[in-house]
Amino acid sequence: MNSIGDKSAPVFGVAAEFSCARDLYHAAEKIRDAGFRRWDVFSPFPIHGMDEAMGMRRSLLGKIVFIGGLSGFLMAVVLQFGPSSVLYPLVVAGKPTNLFTVPAFFPIMFEMTILFSAFTAVFGMLIMNGLPRLNHALFNWDRFKKVTEDKFFVAIESGDPKFSERAVRDLLESLGGTNITTIHGD
Amino acid sequence: MSEHAPDSPQTFDYKHVGGRFLGLVATAIVAFIAIFAGAASNPTQFAFSYLFAFTFFLTICMGGLFWVLVHHSTDAEWSVVVRRQLENMACLLPVMGVLFIPLIFVAPLLWQWMQPENAQDPLLQEKWPYLTPWFFWGRAAFYFVFFTVAAVWLRANSVLQDTDGAPRYTVFNRRLTFASLPLFAVCLTFAAIDWLMGLDYHWFSTMWGVYIFAGSVLSALCVLVLLITALRGLGYFQNVVTPEHFHIIGKLMLAFTIFWAYIGFGQYMLIWYANIPEETIYFLRRNTESWQILSTALVVGHFFVPFLLLLPNPGKRRPAFLCAVAVWILVMHVLDVYVIVLPALHKAGVVVHWMDFACLAAVGCTVAAVFLKRLGDAPLWPLRDPRLPESIALKN
Repeated sequence: MNSIGDKSAPVFGVAAEFSCARDLYHAAEKIRDAGFRRWDVFSPFPIHGMDEAMGMRRSLLGKIVFIGGLSGFLMAVVLQFGPSSVLYPLVVAGKPTNLFTVPAFFPIMFEMTILFSAFTAVFGMLIMNGLPRLNHALFNWDRFKKVTEDKFFVAIESGDPKFSERAVRDLLESLGGTNITTIHGD
Repeated sequence: MSEHAPDSPQTFDYKHVGGRFLGLVATAIVAFIAIFAGAASNPTQFAFSYLFAFTFFLTICMGGLFWVLVHHSTDAEWSVVVRRQLENMACLLPVMGVLFIPLIFVAPLLWQWMQPENAQDPLLQEKWPYLTPWFFWGRAAFYFVFFTVAAVWLRANSVLQDTDGAPRYTVFNRRLTFASLPLFAVCLTFAAIDWLMGLDYHWFSTMWGVYIFAGSVLSALCVLVLLITALRGLGYFQNVVTPEHFHIIGKLMLAFTIFWAYIGFGQYMLIWYANIPEETIYFLRRNTESWQILSTALVVGHFFVPFLLLLPNPGKRRPAFLCAVAVWILVMHVLDVYVIVLPALHKAGVVVHWMDFACLAAVGCTVAAVFLKRLGDAPLWPLRDPRLPESIALKN
């Protein structure tokens, strides 16, 4: 029973090592079919089709970005029409505020939509990934450093409703994983 | 490619066309006789109607050539399976060169700078090195020679590759493309300036070429969608073109819908805000009287409608839905060209003339007949392109 990290800390999960992308891909399909939800794979490079193999659904991020963009657009509308059309209407360059002078406001509306969408996308992505963070339990494991070179890893987290250390170890072993290790840490 | 050979014929069978081809030719002949008869009584209306119809089909063919050039210059994978149809579209450019001939006879009616009474106009005298008959016609000849050489040569190499599958054709076409891309940009831009911006020789816009370009590449994509879907409906392209390819074309349609709006608005915004009389005349004419209705319809129909339709993902993967959007965008492109050309004649408001439709039918049926006539000459997709398997196995 290999285990790594501070034994008094809670179990983060069980990880296994694979030697090639194909093994990792097939392992991911089996883990998906076994019904696990909180787990991840790690590889030195992106693997095509891994999203489907892991059974990942479309990210929620796109919908959040739409709301972000919409709020940027509405903010531009309010900030421009509020002062220029309602609070303090002015005729600038022979152009009164009416429907036909809306184009003057378009660039701001466009830019604010883009700006808010971009901010929502970047920060939403960071928050949904739990970033930034200083350390990760997997870094307690020395072998895991090989993930930036030539090794492939699967980690099933203890937060998964189906998680039990013994069953997960047996599953990873049956999938051909080596150096199966229980990771402790926060 | 053995996996799709049995259930999908590789060359077009004319049994699908049959008597309709003769109908097309007959319509073209009747329409041409009608518009030439109309030209005798109302040459000015004929000139503008014909330029409108000519421009609509020219932009589509130029867009087809653009996508072939983009395919080769970026070494694209996804577009291999649809490239032959784009090449077929681009190869209609020599036909457009022939269809340009009627415009030569009515040129002074279209392009007022050719009229002798305008010779003393100080603004024209400033522009004389560019707006000179021999240079004008020389440029027109150069555009069509370039378009013809580029389109025909690229397609010829592509067809040669079908027999032996040698990669050197791909490499050669890439070289040809790097020579052609800058010339394509120059020819499209100056063709747009000469024939469309030149309708009012006082007026100018530095974004004009890009605006015409945006409409061209978008409508070429729409025609491609319709073509591919029609051929798939007849049993071709089975296991070759998949929903993944439609998805990519749909994404590009969305991108170029936005691009068209961006360029169109950019041009409008700068002219409107600066408020210089010789620039505003273009929009003043199109945003007053009944032209205002068509300009507004263009903003809604050419941008907002396709933008909202193409934004969600699932529709782009459904050929029927994408075809409906493509038809809508093409109708809007007709309107776009109409609002570019006709206000130069009917300054007081919209006057729809029967020759507008007759010219569309004449040019359109001619182009369609030539396209169908040539469709069976070569396989429907590049059979032995080195990248064909990757293109068929495309994943978004």
